[in-house]
Amino acid sequence: MIGAAPPNVTPARPVPDFAVGGVGDPGTRLLSGPDPSAGAEPYAHHLARMGPLPPPAMTDDLRALTRESGLLGRGGGGFPLARKLEAAIAAPGVPLVVVNASESEPASRKDRTLCRNRPHLVLDGAAAAAAIVGADEVTVHVHRGSTDAHDGLVRAMGERRAGGAVDPLWRISLGPDRYVAGESSAIASLLAGGDARPRFSRIPMATRGPSGRPTVVSNAETMAHLGFLLRSGPGFWRSGGTPAAPGSRLLTLTGSVPVPGRVLELVGRGTIGEILSEAGHFAVPSAVLVGGYGGTWLDGETAWQTPFDPEALRCVGAQPGCGLIGVLPHGACGLTETARLVRYLADESAGQCGPCVAGLPAMADACEALARGDLRRRGIRRLESVTQLVSGGGACSHPDGAARLVRSALDIFEDDVARHLAGKACRGSSHPPVFSVPLVDPGSEWR
Amino acid sequence: MSGVVRIDPTLCRGHAICNLLFSEGIALDHWGYGRVVDPRLGDRRSLKRAARAAAACPNRAIVVEEVPDPGGTR
Repeated sequence: MIGAAPPNVTPARPVPDFAVGGVGDPGTRLLSGPDPSAGAEPYAHHLARMGPLPPPAMTDDLRALTRESGLLGRGGGGFPLARKLEAAIAAPGVPLVVVNASESEPASRKDRTLCRNRPHLVLDGAAAAAAIVGADEVTVHVHRGSTDAHDGLVRAMGERRAGGAVDPLWRISLGPDRYVAGESSAIASLLAGGDARPRFSRIPMATRGPSGRPTVVSNAETMAHLGFLLRSGPGFWRSGGTPAAPGSRLLTLTGSVPVPGRVLELVGRGTIGEILSEAGHFAVPSAVLVGGYGGTWLDGETAWQTPFDPEALRCVGAQPGCGLIGVLPHGACGLTETARLVRYLADESAGQCGPCVAGLPAMADACEALARGDLRRRGIRRLESVTQLVSGGGACSHPDGAARLVRSALDIFEDDVARHLAGKACRGSSHPPVFSVPLVDPGSEWR
Repeated sequence: MSGVVRIDPTLCRGHAICNLLFSEGIALDHWGYGRVVDPRLGDRRSLKRAARAAAACPNRAIVVEEVPDPGGTR
């Protein structure tokens, strides 16, 4: 070794200010505790390990702690939980509290992992949220096909009742296995007796939802964070993230990684490269899909050096979304992958708003033509203009996500676009699919 | 008297009658669906025209809300 450090001098390599780990790994917060093989952590173990939750009667304390934490929702929108709860408290009527455990993102596994392995942390947070807004029942919403999340939650609810927990009345709601049916206004609509399709409203749901009552819909991970921080205190909890986006964060790795579907918790500030290295993927990939199937492509080099937090991601044009990190390997075609994802998103539209009904199929057609090498310059320009036309025009952000995906693909895979336009053979188009999409049943019911 | 106009995109089916009756306030997008140019309705005339467009919409997709002037009579 050249220039070995003299004794008693700290090594030049800084101590990492982050930790990444899966279920049961040391250094994690939400995921700490027993190994994944142990299944759902029993209620007694959970209480012994975490300590009791502050009693629901201490409403003011719970409310203040939630406000101090600055917890931002983890379903993709990043809206402050405290503001949702305060809006529901200020509005007339008894609020509905809904835990969104539907996890519609096809490749995401974080909420399912929580419901399966740490269900009591999710239910703790939900019980506290109900106490804060003065609701005496909580509805936990899952997709019908998500049987493992459903079973984990039902068993946990039974254990709590037997264990004498001071809890709200638990209800489970089952929704259709459709992508947009997991959107918060779609869930609120279903609970109000309508279709599980997104709704348009001038008034925030926390003030008045489709049922007429204030409706708080929060992601399962958000609730788990609440369950954690009410015990640890906002100070320690905040240290798991950045000042602007406090708290740790759950991630799902997919695509060309050693274990697709693996859920990791990022504590502190770590780059996508550091996260992937922790998961055993050591080479800079061709590109990375960040945030979900309606997310943003980043070129491999940029992604590798970008910390996975909202501010850093915003600087490179991305957002954390549901915490998905999808790895595109060298040799695969990003345009072919994009075409499959856009077709999936178009097929999964609720068929309500103009941008989705007219815009998404047009985008999917153009992306498929581009992937085949059948699109010309003018077609690319038209595709770009459609991505602008659909953005911001729907009741929900479904078309915006598809547009974001396409725009980032045209940007990141610029060289591939040129090659496809020139009619040159793309070696990657015969590569097996990297990001899998579920089969869509367009005739399925919205109930 | 002022107000706010919005279109519920889940209800709009692109009949475009709103654009005929209130062209300065509601444009049509690339596929013929209505898009509000500016949700704020500054005067009585635009409020009236927006209300006419809302009443004419076959799908009742247009919502017009009157906002009473601050300090004005109700």
